[in-house]
Amino acid sequence: MIFTNYLVCFVLIALGIYCMVTKKNLFKICVGMGLVDYGVNLLIVSVGFHAGGTAPIFNISELTRDSFFVDPIPQALTLTSIVIGACTTAMTLSLIIMLYKQYGTLESDQIRRLRG
Amino acid sequence: MTFDFSNFINNFPILAIMSLFLGAFVSSLVGRRSAKVRNTVVFLSMLISLVLILALIKPVLLEGKIINYWLGNWEPVNGWAFGNSLEVDALSLFFALIVVVAVFVSGVYSFFYMSHDDSLVNYYTLFLMLSGSVLGLVLSGDLFNMFVMIEIMTFTAVALTAFRNHYEGALEGAFKYLVVGSLGSTSVLIGIALIYSQMHTLNLAQIAAMLPGYDSPVILIAFAFLFVGFGSKAFLFPFHPLAADAHAVAPASISLMISGVLTKCGVYGIIRLCYCLYQNMDQTFVQYFVTGIGVISMFVCVTMAFNQHNFKRLLAFHSISQVGYVITVIGLGSALGMSAGLFHAMNHTIFKGLLFLTAGAVQHATGSLDLDELGGLSKKMPGTCALFLIGAASISGLPPFNGFASKWMIYQATFQKAGETGNFFFVVVCVAALITSVLTLASFIKVAQSVFFGQLNLKFANTKEVSLGMRIPMWILAALCILPGLFPDKVQQWLLTPATQAAMNAPGYIDAAMGSGYAASFAIPAYQPQQIFLSGAWQPVMWLLLLISVTLAVCIVALLGGDEKATVTSEISADTDCDPKYDSFFSGEASVYSQVGGSDLFWGFKHNWRRYFSFMHDWHSGVVNDYTLYGTAAIAVALVLCVIFL
Repeated sequence: MIFTNYLVCFVLIALGIYCMVTKKNLFKICVGMGLVDYGVNLLIVSVGFHAGGTAPIFNISELTRDSFFVDPIPQALTLTSIVIGACTTAMTLSLIIMLYKQYGTLESDQIRRLRG
Repeated sequence: MTFDFSNFINNFPILAIMSLFLGAFVSSLVGRRSAKVRNTVVFLSMLISLVLILALIKPVLLEGKIINYWLGNWEPVNGWAFGNSLEVDALSLFFALIVVVAVFVSGVYSFFYMSHDDSLVNYYTLFLMLSGSVLGLVLSGDLFNMFVMIEIMTFTAVALTAFRNHYEGALEGAFKYLVVGSLGSTSVLIGIALIYSQMHTLNLAQIAAMLPGYDSPVILIAFAFLFVGFGSKAFLFPFHPLAADAHAVAPASISLMISGVLTKCGVYGIIRLCYCLYQNMDQTFVQYFVTGIGVISMFVCVTMAFNQHNFKRLLAFHSISQVGYVITVIGLGSALGMSAGLFHAMNHTIFKGLLFLTAGAVQHATGSLDLDELGGLSKKMPGTCALFLIGAASISGLPPFNGFASKWMIYQATFQKAGETGNFFFVVVCVAALITSVLTLASFIKVAQSVFFGQLNLKFANTKEVSLGMRIPMWILAALCILPGLFPDKVQQWLLTPATQAAMNAPGYIDAAMGSGYAASFAIPAYQPQQIFLSGAWQPVMWLLLLISVTLAVCIVALLGGDEKATVTSEISADTDCDPKYDSFFSGEASVYSQVGGSDLFWGFKHNWRRYFSFMHDWHSGVVNDYTLYGTAAIAVALVLCVIFL
């Protein structure tokens, strides 16, 4: 089960990077960045997952060596990472809108005034 | 209750970071009403953080104290760090000093430089957030915190790059920076996730204790990801096109921040990664890897600078070239190399900041950055011209400026390494460092000629010197260029030696956070302070005298020898190049308006290397997909190399 997670997150990251490298449309590049983000989020959540663990809600007195729970820290990290991913997408989209106004195109190989 | 100052300074790091972030918040709240209030808030928050960091010099740098601040007072329990922490040792403080000084200078310069722009509230909010995140990054003792700070840093830098969005290419540069920069950030995040999966902690000190004895391929993969991620933040090869694009279009004060401060964060990350977390700098492969990346960045970028026609884009390539120097010597793994690297990192912020600010002044006064268009500005802007010459002499490594002192140390470090190991690779590194320095000097002669000397373009006949408010920050940086160059031994004693020892003293870093004896319990040997031996002469003034006397000697010989012009008798035949333009450097061909020769001082050089230059020109295609591909390729290559060799 956890193996599927790792496989899916690898596929998501690979697809995202493929999208960023080959697609010329700026929106598709943005979608590729999103896919990479989701893949990484899945990776972090999977890292903290223990099959059969309970929710990590304990008093300090209840906590013993035998308590078996899902690691809560990766979930907190994922939340942060999701927020950052949303910011990336918002910022990319706003830049794309401005770029379209200025350059009149969405093709990345026509947006290359800075080169060489 | 008595006031205990020595404990109270533990709060200084967090207060310094908070003051910048609070300043960002407050200035956006109150700044819309009046520009004066806004500038006061910005100035105060920068000043407070500057003072707080300066106050830490005595305890941390001179007395060797390591400050640990556990947020919410969550101290480690039974050898497990639960809480988030700030850990300030001499290395962190060294970089924090670079950051706060650069932020202060850049902020004061902005007050005058940006005065013609509108919606400045947004500018200062983003600027202070950028400053705060960078300071938070270098002071952080927590891996994930570093990632969050890197992300804030990237976003604010992207937004500020696009701030003058009516400029040609500003949005384009920002977009490329965002897309490829997010690839670098993702790489860091993957590395952190992999490390967490093995270590189950995010505290730098605890990871540093557990990692070296831990044997798992996952850790090696994480090293590759983290290295490429931090490298992308330092714009190392092959991420350098981003820096060129972003610098050329950003406001000059932001160029200072990107080149002087953001790249230093990448350098800091790499130092922490190799020296503290993995402690694998004694392995030959890591030395080859880090030094190799540094040499490639330094050489490729300095040659790329030859082809540039935009003042700031040219400076941007030089900036990455100098960061390449820093990474090169850090990769040597010796105490002298580390010391030289830190010195050059500091000097790079100073002289590159100065050069970007002079470029900004030229842009502010004339409205142009085109090297083919500018010229003869030394009569119109003598102050800026003098400042530019100081910066150019520093970056080219002329005595008695700071660039000479640190480059001299870099040559010594590479030479010493080559001598000790007898390895041909390090001999090449030493020679490459020298050649790069010569090319830098050549390139800056061209810039000085095209911008400040030569013929004045009639378009700019009414140019006026920039205001005093813009020149004062530049003079501060110019003074900082000269002082370390005159007293390198003091800088060595007060700043570099403590920072170098702290960088190499991983057990000390671990014990300060987790309690003494923690590093030893993981079988990490105690640190023996390393001596920094400087071979050879160390007298910048003597070198200046030597330089002057050699120059005089050359002049005298040239005068005595008469001026026989070399007569060029080459014949144009079918098997040589048919373009007579390249036969000599002085052919009088009509050309577009330009200050240097017919088209350039370096015709011969460029002509002989034309295949390389045209290849590199095509390689920097400007298409965001290509840059993403280079970044992905860098990650892939790093992964393969680390898994095979590490």
